[in-house]
Amino acid sequence: MVSIDHYLVLATFMFLCGTLGVLFRRNLLMVLMSIELMLNAVNLVFVSGSRMLGNLDGQVMVFFIITVAACEAGVGLAMVIALFRRYGTVDTNFLRILRG
Amino acid sequence: MTQELVFLAFAALIALCSMMVILSRNAVVSAIYLVGDLFSLAGLYASMDAHFVAAIQVLVYAGAIVVLFMFVIMLLNLGPDQRQHLQVSAPEVGVLALTIIGFLVVGGMLLLGQPTGVTGPLTAEAIENAGGNTYTVGMVLFTKYLWPFELASMLILLAIIAAIVIAKKEQNKDGDTRRLAHG
Repeated sequence: MVSIDHYLVLATFMFLCGTLGVLFRRNLLMVLMSIELMLNAVNLVFVSGSRMLGNLDGQVMVFFIITVAACEAGVGLAMVIALFRRYGTVDTNFLRILRG
Repeated sequence: MTQELVFLAFAALIALCSMMVILSRNAVVSAIYLVGDLFSLAGLYASMDAHFVAAIQVLVYAGAIVVLFMFVIMLLNLGPDQRQHLQVSAPEVGVLALTIIGFLVVGGMLLLGQPTGVTGPLTAEAIENAGGNTYTVGMVLFTKYLWPFELASMLILLAIIAAIVIAKKEQNKDGDTRRLAHG
């Protein structure tokens, strides 16, 4: 029997992969993809919890997360394009204008 | 038995694809592994009787968001990353340590006991009798979560406008567009 523990462990692994990608990749596009990975890990936890508890609120929440992820991807990619047009690179080593 | 096999197959695919997303040096390869990841997640959702979520996962995530990523990768025409020395600074190590500690706490809680909660009425049999997963999710979405649903449409509208404004070509004072810095 597949219990919720298995799904939680899998989601933990996915989230850790996403965290490592956000922290250590230098390409802004890869950072955005890693954020998608983390959002998907959260979705997996929501759906498995919804199944365990016999309650569909978790699945409805997944739709809102997907909506937010789509908005985030759209705006984030627009910012990547604007940054690339201005500085000619998407390397976060060079894009330090947001750092103090 | 079949459910364990399905879970194991999709979990192995998800673990492999997640690692390859962050390990591969070419952004296009990463995006393709991300597609594999999202498809495997859709399979996992389908095995959990969340059919509508699985369909939306394939349509929206793999069909729209990753294609958007692909468009931008092709538009920017980036080569593979040059392997650089890893610059690790204090905030990154701190965030990583906090994340790992959080996961250790979750793992300890899992070892100590099975997660429990108040079980709702919508078990798999009840959903099947009420008319299927899609029908039931729709009923919840359009009654209990009607206002969040409408707010989500406002969020999408704002994101569309923001994306257009941000990605618009910048105009200099004398009217000609800013030069491409990489050329």
